[in-house]
Amino acid sequence: MRVLEPWLADPLAELLRESSARLALVMTSSGQVIAQHGFTRSLDVMAAAALGAGILATTGELARVVGSGRGFGAVVHQGSAQGVWLAGFDTPRGRWIGLVVFGRESSVGLVRMFFERFADTVTLVAPPVTAVREVLAEGFERELDASLRALFGRS
Amino acid sequence: MARLAADGVSLTVTLVIFGPSRSGKSSLLRGVHDRLGDGPGTVRMADATPFSPLDWLAIDLGVIGGRNATVHLYAVPGLAAYDSTRRLLLSQADGVVFLADSQGSRLEANLDALRQLQDHVLAREGDMRELPIVFLYTKQDLPSDLVLPLAALDEALNFRNAPSFTGDALRGTGVRDALQAALTLVLRRLAVTTEPADVAGFGAG
Repeated sequence: MRVLEPWLADPLAELLRESSARLALVMTSSGQVIAQHGFTRSLDVMAAAALGAGILATTGELARVVGSGRGFGAVVHQGSAQGVWLAGFDTPRGRWIGLVVFGRESSVGLVRMFFERFADTVTLVAPPVTAVREVLAEGFERELDASLRALFGRS
Repeated sequence: MARLAADGVSLTVTLVIFGPSRSGKSSLLRGVHDRLGDGPGTVRMADATPFSPLDWLAIDLGVIGGRNATVHLYAVPGLAAYDSTRRLLLSQADGVVFLADSQGSRLEANLDALRQLQDHVLAREGDMRELPIVFLYTKQDLPSDLVLPLAALDEALNFRNAPSFTGDALRGTGVRDALQAALTLVLRRLAVTTEPADVAGFGAG
């Protein structure tokens, strides 16, 4: 494992251990590598980072075109022997991207769950920033009721 | 924890379906999935493998309180072998839907599961009284001499007078009401108590 930011080492190790993932890469949204585990050649790291950042940027633009707002939170490519989980997350250092390669010993659900935990931890251990107080707008209960009525019907 | 993303756009709520073995947790998720699969909400199921001892479902709720809201539902088998998975899930839970088996013969199993839930909450240095929880008493479709009524189940399990419902996980009765009650509890709490520490900037999910 190699990390540009030392405080990333523990959360990344935990992600790999708990999700049984094979490879992991953390990069900025522009493809600059911040941490990696499992890649044996630097060329592979650079290629994966560039491709991963490109894929997320492309799907983000696709989301904009089809009216899905900010973009898709995560992208999964599932192969017969391996899968790739790719997701962006905001940190005090800006928006980062995680790329996780997993095999049959793991699953999308497991990787997703531990990736979210990893993302949570990164925010916790990163240098603090001043956050803006956020609250839900009024009327959420009425909206929730309407949403569930629409989804489930009146049963 | 529930996420009000710093982008001012999204909100993600995590609910854990908890209960004793064979109380209908996975059936509930699959029933919701079958029901909403062709509906307007975005629904995805986790791929179930022997290495993934959990079911997961994400439902797009649309705009709630000015945010694009998504609820993630997780269920893990009630078997003791999955204790660590349950603990992790509960550490991320914003609320719990406790699925209790209505059969009188399963009352002790329900109580055991409730005790496990309390242990898990304590392990995350939490307070059961602070955890949004609702009860759904399943298998009410069984013959009446086999199942306990709502009042008796509340008396035995629902010490905090939390919202409770009777239903049937297979057919989905009571499920919508239980989910709505749980989400309302979580969001009410969020609307009142959100502090900067709860505000994360994640779009992933």
